[in-house]
Amino acid sequence: MNHQPFELWLLDDKYLSAAEKRELDAHLRTCTHCTTLAKTGLVLRSAHVVAPAAGFVLRFQQRLAAQKIAERRRRLWGLIVLIVSGVGLLGWFAAPYIYAFIASPIEWLTASIGYFLYVVTFLQAFSEILKVLARMAPNFIPPYALMVMLSALAGLGLIWVVSIWRFSHKPQGVTA
Amino acid sequence: MNEEQAWVLQAQQGSDEAFTRLVETYQTPVFNLCYRMLGEPELAEDAAQETFLRTYQHLHRYDQKRPFATWLLSIAAHYCIDRLRRRKFSMFSMDAEDEDGNTFELPDPNSPNPEAESIKGQTRDRVHSMLKDLDETDRAAIIMRYWYDYSEIEIAESLRLTVSAVKSRLHRARKELAGLWQEQEEDLLAEMERRHHESPAF
Repeated sequence: MNHQPFELWLLDDKYLSAAEKRELDAHLRTCTHCTTLAKTGLVLRSAHVVAPAAGFVLRFQQRLAAQKIAERRRRLWGLIVLIVSGVGLLGWFAAPYIYAFIASPIEWLTASIGYFLYVVTFLQAFSEILKVLARMAPNFIPPYALMVMLSALAGLGLIWVVSIWRFSHKPQGVTA
Repeated sequence: MNEEQAWVLQAQQGSDEAFTRLVETYQTPVFNLCYRMLGEPELAEDAAQETFLRTYQHLHRYDQKRPFATWLLSIAAHYCIDRLRRRKFSMFSMDAEDEDGNTFELPDPNSPNPEAESIKGQTRDRVHSMLKDLDETDRAAIIMRYWYDYSEIEIAESLRLTVSAVKSRLHRARKELAGLWQEQEEDLLAEMERRHHESPAF
C-alpha cells in the first residue's frame, strides 16, 4: 500500500485543509500502519507534564549552599597547599644561603653590596647601548619596518592587557 | 526587558534570589524533561537539580539573545543524554508512584470514572515504556517536540544538530514508536484472549 503523502503529513504534524483531512480519514480507514502513526501522535500530544515533588526549590537551595561550601573549602585547601609547598620550596632553595649568611654575615653583606653595584653598572651600560642604538637605528631601519615593529609591540601590549583582564575577571556563581 | 530577562541579568550579577525565581519558574519543565529522559523520579530529581547547578555555574556564558528556557532545557537534555550514555539503564521503573508521593498521578478509585482513569494510567505507562527503547538523542528530540512544542530549529539548536538531522530523527523515532505501539497492542490482545480462555466462567 502506498502511504504517501499521508505518512509524511502525520510525521510532520502538518496542518491539513478540510479536503486533505477527508483524504487522510479515508486512508486511515484502510491502513493500519498510518492509523498507528496517527494514534501514537495523539498519545504523545496528550501526554501530561510531570511535576517534581514539593520542596524542589528548597532542596536546590540546600544543594547549592553545600556546593558553595565545598567549593570554598576546596579553594582554601588549594591555597594552603600552594602556600605551604611554595614556602617549602623556597626554604629548600634558600637553606644553604641562609646557613652561609648566619655563619658569616660580613662576608655576605660585602657580596650583596658587590652584586648590587654590578647590577647598577650593568643597567647603566645597557641604557647607554640602547641610547646609541636608538640614535643609529633610524639610519639603518626603513620607516615601514619601524611601523611594523611598533604595531607588533602594540599588539603584544594589547594581548598582555586582555590576558590580565581575563585572568582578573571572575565569573559569577560557583566555578567548577 | 521582561521579568525573566531581568531575573537572568540579576542572577548573572550574583543575585541568588533572582536565580531562585528562575528555579521556581522552570522546575516543572526541567523535571519533566529529565523524567521523560531517565524514566525514574529519583534520577529525574537528581538530574534536574544538577541541571540548575550547572546553569548557575555557567550563567555568565548565557547569551541573552537566546530564549532562557531553550538554553536551560538544552543543558538538561545534554546532561540526561550523557548520563544515559554513561550508564545504560537495564529497565525503566514502571511504578507509578515515588516515595515522596506527588510526582505521579495514580488512578483514583474514587474518581467518577475509575476505569477511564485506569486506562489513562495504562496509556501513560505505555508511552513511558516506549520512550525507553528510543536512542537517547531521538528521545530528547521527541520530548522537546511533543512536550514542549519546540520547532525543528529550536530542537536543532538545543541538541546541536542540523535541522535536517532533527527532522530525520523525529521521523525515525515516530515510526519506531508506532511499531512499538503496534507490538504492545498485539501483546495486549493476545493477553486478553488468553485470559478470556482461562477464565473459570468459561
